[in-house]
Amino acid sequence: MTDASAGQTERQLIRLAAEGDARAIRMLYERYAPRVYAVVRRIAADDDLAQDYTQEAWIRAIRALPTFRGDARFSTWLHRIAVNAALQSLRKADTRSKREEDEAADVPIDPWNTDSLLQKRLEQALDTLPEGMREVLILHDVEGYTHDEIGDVLGVTSGTSKSQLFKARAKMRALLSGVAGTAGEQGAEAWSI
Amino acid sequence: MEHLTIETLARLVDEPARPEETKHLALCEACASELAALRAQTESLAALPEIMPPLGDWRVLEAKLRSEGLVRDLGLFQKLGLARTPSWMPAAAAVVLFLGGTGFGAAITNRGAPAGPQSTAPLAALSVEGAANAVREAEQEYVSAVSRYREVMEEQGGGDVTTDPVTRYAALEHLVSVSQAAVRQAPGDPFLNGFLASALAERDAAARQVSANRDNWF
Repeated sequence: MTDASAGQTERQLIRLAAEGDARAIRMLYERYAPRVYAVVRRIAADDDLAQDYTQEAWIRAIRALPTFRGDARFSTWLHRIAVNAALQSLRKADTRSKREEDEAADVPIDPWNTDSLLQKRLEQALDTLPEGMREVLILHDVEGYTHDEIGDVLGVTSGTSKSQLFKARAKMRALLSGVAGTAGEQGAEAWSI
Repeated sequence: MEHLTIETLARLVDEPARPEETKHLALCEACASELAALRAQTESLAALPEIMPPLGDWRVLEAKLRSEGLVRDLGLFQKLGLARTPSWMPAAAAVVLFLGGTGFGAAITNRGAPAGPQSTAPLAALSVEGAANAVREAEQEYVSAVSRYREVMEEQGGGDVTTDPVTRYAALEHLVSVSQAAVRQAPGDPFLNGFLASALAERDAAARQVSANRDNWF
């Protein structure tokens, strides 16, 4: 027996999903859900909001599937939609007060894994960054966007993006080392867990 | 000696240092150490893993997609890609399945009974994913049968065949049986339920055709 599902290329999957095929949509979802959720979760800095924004991102992506021409990789195209959906949803919602009231969200990790402990510290520090800094830091240092790309997404100049990035890195450094100090007060050893 | 600011050091993570900054870093252990820490932080951020969405995320999304009309439920034969095939093809595929020794004969004479232990016993011990796979395999088995028969017909120069609703009914009965077993394993799965509903509708249509033919005989 031939395995028709396994043999389907991504292009075929996308075509079927664009036609509304439930199974094709589900296969695309299962393939890319962790990547989409990760970037949306980090931008939203809140589990509940992340769920809502992720749903919105997928709905936008599925709706826009017929317009996908394959000029870029599908993962890149989907990622950009997810980032835009998260940013726009964040702008619409009055989330600032909610995050100020809430404790920093607790991203589930493996407590016996030192990499996971580091990950937890990073995720919690990201959650507490001011919104503008967090967005630039996530897009540049986590997702690998260039300053020009960040400028396009956020509607700012690349100079502003750079400036925000350096502030964000400094703020993260302060959060992770436990003090809002300047250079010289903390050494590289403070980075270690 | 005045230290470099933390934002300057943050810039030096991925931008070249000016001559005076290079000179300072060569002499100041604290600033060099801080820059190393910032670089380590940046590398760790780049290595952050993907995050699994919460359980149930797909169910919520699927419901929303359906409410937006972005998911189209297809009939069994559309799912199998048979909508544009000649009318004799589904029945022909059923013949191939029937003759393939997959044990459908009993279904013809005993409509209410399951298709046999071969199809139900293994499913009882399957996980939800296993049950879903069982249905997919049944679907693929059918498509494979169509393909094989198409090849045979093309080798023989094509042409039409007489539709046999009895054998078609037998094949569909098997699909229904497998689908029912899968739905028992995963009662909430919308795809499995949709597939079962489609298979039931096709089987009942075939049953009506069998009944009509018998009436004509007598």
